[in-house]
Amino acid sequence: MTNPVLEAIRTRRMVRALTDAPVPREQVELILKAVRWAPSAGNRRLHRYVAIQDPVTLRLLRMVSPGMFQRPRAVIAICIDGGRAQSFGMSPTARSLYIDVGTSAQTMLLAAHSIGLGAGVVTSFSRAAVSVVLNLPSGFSPEMFICLGFPAARQPPAMRPRTPVTWESLSQWERFP
Amino acid sequence: MESTMVLTEDEALDLLAFLVTAARTQLDEAAEYGPLRLLAAAGRLAEFMAARASPATRQFLAGPLRALPDAALRSVDPGKYATELDTVCRAVGEHLVSHFDGGAR
Repeated sequence: MTNPVLEAIRTRRMVRALTDAPVPREQVELILKAVRWAPSAGNRRLHRYVAIQDPVTLRLLRMVSPGMFQRPRAVIAICIDGGRAQSFGMSPTARSLYIDVGTSAQTMLLAAHSIGLGAGVVTSFSRAAVSVVLNLPSGFSPEMFICLGFPAARQPPAMRPRTPVTWESLSQWERFP
Repeated sequence: MESTMVLTEDEALDLLAFLVTAARTQLDEAAEYGPLRLLAAAGRLAEFMAARASPATRQFLAGPLRALPDAALRSVDPGKYATELDTVCRAVGEHLVSHFDGGAR
């Protein structure tokens, strides 16, 4: 019997080419509902998500995001609430803040995949410019975009690893020899 | 030589924003992203220019310039990537000579 969770993890890909079809708001909401359950260090919930569907805002985001090759029909920006982090006595560079950007991202990527949406991450953007475009409150820092849309039939070639990767090549038992 | 405006203000702003923000993001990113960003900017510029460029330039944009090596090749075969970029650069040179010099050389 196939394990649907493992199957979703195995078959998810970064989708870089999207169709022009709009993404229904309900589907974006499903992804936001999923990320509410993402692992969060100490359950502190120091991240906020901004969902963008307005075509003008999407266009502006793309202008200040050199890494955004796709033309997403929706974007969810993962932001760190620096002020809230500080209230817990955390440094703005605390590792857990950025690790939890990753847990949010993976949760949303899998959620998108499970409902038939294509999703890809973008981190190459100007934090300063994006903060202005999204009118982020002081202390908020945008860290990653999840770009959403319906996958195009033809995708650009994937970035292949420099050397072949297997689970064994990435893992050690107990300790390094 | 008569020259045509090939960008709208919106398109020029789009490209300007891309270039300035790419300069900033490149400070924190892998060096191998440098060529990728420049080619992405060239791709955006070509896309904007296509509708208003001269027939010869349009042909160049749709032909040799579309033969840019795929970014994925950069990590797999850097030598081939450089060779393919050289091919495009030669095509750029040929088009420049033809455009500015009328192919007189």
